[in-house]
Amino acid sequence: MSDFAGMEDLLQDFLIEAGDLLSGVDNKLVDLERTPHDLPLLNEIFRGFHTIKGGAGFLNATELVTLCHLTENLFDKLRTGELQVTPEMLDSILGATAAVRSMFGDLERGMQPASADAALLNNIKQALAGKLTGRAAPAAAPAAAPAKPAAAAASVPSGNEANGPDWDAYYHAVTGVTPTGKAVATPVSGNVPAPQVLDVPEQEEEQHLSEDSAQKIITAAVGRRATDKPGYQGPPGGRREGERQRDNSIRVDTSRLDQVLNLSGEIGLTKNRLTALRSDILNGKNDTDTMHALDLAVSQLDLLVSDLQNAVMKTRMQPIGRLFQKYPRIARDLARSLGKDVEMVLEGEETEIDKTMIEDLSDPIIHLIRNAVDHGVELPNERMMMGKPEKSIVKLEARQEGDHIVIVVSDDGHGMNPERLRAKALEKGLISDEEANTMDERQSFNLIFLPGFSTASSVSDVSGRGVGMDVVRTNIQKLNGSIDIRSEQGKGTSFIISLPLTLAILPVLLVCLGEQPFAVPLSMVREILPIEPKEVQELGGRATMVVRGEVLPIVTLASLLGWPQETVPEYGVLMQSAEQSFILAIDSFAGREDAVIKSLDDFRPKGVAGVTTLSNGQIVLILDMKELLSSMGEQRVATRAQLLLENRVASAA
Amino acid sequence: MSDPKMKFLVVDDFSTMRRIVRNLLKELGYTNVDEAEDGVVAMQKLSSGGIDFVVTDWNMPNMTGIELLRAIRANAQMSHLPVLMITAEAKKENIVEAAQAGASGYIVKPFTAATLSEKLAKIFEKMDKKSA
Repeated sequence: MSDFAGMEDLLQDFLIEAGDLLSGVDNKLVDLERTPHDLPLLNEIFRGFHTIKGGAGFLNATELVTLCHLTENLFDKLRTGELQVTPEMLDSILGATAAVRSMFGDLERGMQPASADAALLNNIKQALAGKLTGRAAPAAAPAAAPAKPAAAAASVPSGNEANGPDWDAYYHAVTGVTPTGKAVATPVSGNVPAPQVLDVPEQEEEQHLSEDSAQKIITAAVGRRATDKPGYQGPPGGRREGERQRDNSIRVDTSRLDQVLNLSGEIGLTKNRLTALRSDILNGKNDTDTMHALDLAVSQLDLLVSDLQNAVMKTRMQPIGRLFQKYPRIARDLARSLGKDVEMVLEGEETEIDKTMIEDLSDPIIHLIRNAVDHGVELPNERMMMGKPEKSIVKLEARQEGDHIVIVVSDDGHGMNPERLRAKALEKGLISDEEANTMDERQSFNLIFLPGFSTASSVSDVSGRGVGMDVVRTNIQKLNGSIDIRSEQGKGTSFIISLPLTLAILPVLLVCLGEQPFAVPLSMVREILPIEPKEVQELGGRATMVVRGEVLPIVTLASLLGWPQETVPEYGVLMQSAEQSFILAIDSFAGREDAVIKSLDDFRPKGVAGVTTLSNGQIVLILDMKELLSSMGEQRVATRAQLLLENRVASAA
Repeated sequence: MSDPKMKFLVVDDFSTMRRIVRNLLKELGYTNVDEAEDGVVAMQKLSSGGIDFVVTDWNMPNMTGIELLRAIRANAQMSHLPVLMITAEAKKENIVEAAQAGASGYIVKPFTAATLSEKLAKIFEKMDKKSA
């Protein structure tokens, strides 16, 4: 290609599109294992490799072309029924997709991929040669008829045009006479000069692929001139850039971009209207009509801006299916290595989620799936004994619930045993005897999120290192999400991840301590109530209030922040998180707002999730309640007297 | 015949490939390019008219390139359209099949702008001869 600069752009496109394609192929391979004779499936997989090969050719990724070509040939034989899928063959094919993926990784780093593992290539060649099913039958019937004229046409000289065959000669050969296969041969040989080597391999050669003929096929498929090889070894400096580009690029439906464009146009029009009104008003025009028009324009702008925010947010939304796609393969490989029969079921793949979240969710979900396959589901014979179907189901589903995305990883295995979990935690010294005795089922399940907790008695290869689940929870919490466990013994376990729709905009409640406002996530707020001193009771040394029959501890915002408490708090905000509910005692509140979060990347004080700017320009901290609560420990407990400042005189004295 | 304003229809299910072909055509000065992701969509676009030249991939879902080619040749309104087939394969039987179905040209992936230019020139030459 003359301009390689243009190719780098293409490379990114190719990697994204081909990456999706490859994930699709991976999943179809898992399906193929169950239905090895599914012709449409075989065709789709064939086309996947074929398409990747075609694109790779333009990127001069010769080794990628070689690998895809071999695999594609294999599928060609599978779909014509010439070969049958065998487990060994499938393993080689899965090995090929893994190799293709690692080659994508090389390309992404700006390197031309090296040749695939020789053993893998050899395996595929063996499979192609029909080594496992005996020598392959001759080419399928339809190929036989055109083979003759083709053989003749193949002797047409390629001349100095190395890019594929000389079309005109072929065209002539075929169309110059009656287009029945037989008659063609004669005019061709008469028409054309002395035969030369054409880089199209003989049909027969392809059937028992030797190293040599495979190379020839590749040469034929690639059809490159020696001078066409620019040696794309990737400039060392381009590497980081390539990575960054990949991370930052996103595919957006053009209709969504059009919507953004429309809205920004509308906003421009409304701005013009406002500019005109401003001149009017500055010129002393302030009759009701003008004011009414101003009011109208501002409300319209309000509406448009929030629409625009939504539309822009939507451009970041991606179907979660892209993430889900890679899991069936992982589950299959793991189940196979553990001798289990697991079917992975995906649901709600079309659910959309913020792109950054997709990336950050990838590892936690892998961990949950590994856990489900490794610890969750039983071996086939165990299942039989319990009267369950041999094949276990691991389900991964996503759905939108209100302003949250819920992702559930569930299995139909043996469930979790709260008693065993408590015993284990006790044994590891993670909890005290007393704690163990007072724990309910849900709290017991949550023990697995403690750092250093692992229920597997022996550390297995795949999971059970005890470093996973706490990291899973930390990662999910970083996304402002929560994770919950539901488990029934003998029936299975579900991990329920709940995430906000987007990380960019957070609805907050503005609460004040003295004059200073703070923002707390609205998602945690259940209600706001006044704190009446006579309703505050002391229970076990801490101030509590009874709200609709529920005894809730009161935590003052001042103590959470480590500020001195100067006034008796007037309001309480009933906060609810996955772990607990409590009443946050505040002085007053300043309303709610859709905060556009500015993160404090380099400087992040504990307990602060970020900052936002209010309509009046004031900067407000957004509090991370979970972090504040955990960092405060027991200090946050206030007695009734402390809360209501009844001892003030005494303590001052 | 090689009017730079002529409208090309690039048919391929792989959008990266459509972009590659579009870029190559642009390099040759043809900027009026429409795209279709398979034969079915291509036929819809063709039947609404305005297309002067079809460049199609072979292997596509729903309707393959060769099926598209046959459909074009069988349609009185479109049968005159030049159709350039693109494929990753230099397999003889494919080439013969394309020729029999009436392809105007055949180009093997990957190719350069120069190669594409050569192929187009040959097709234009043939068309000029025919119309002359």
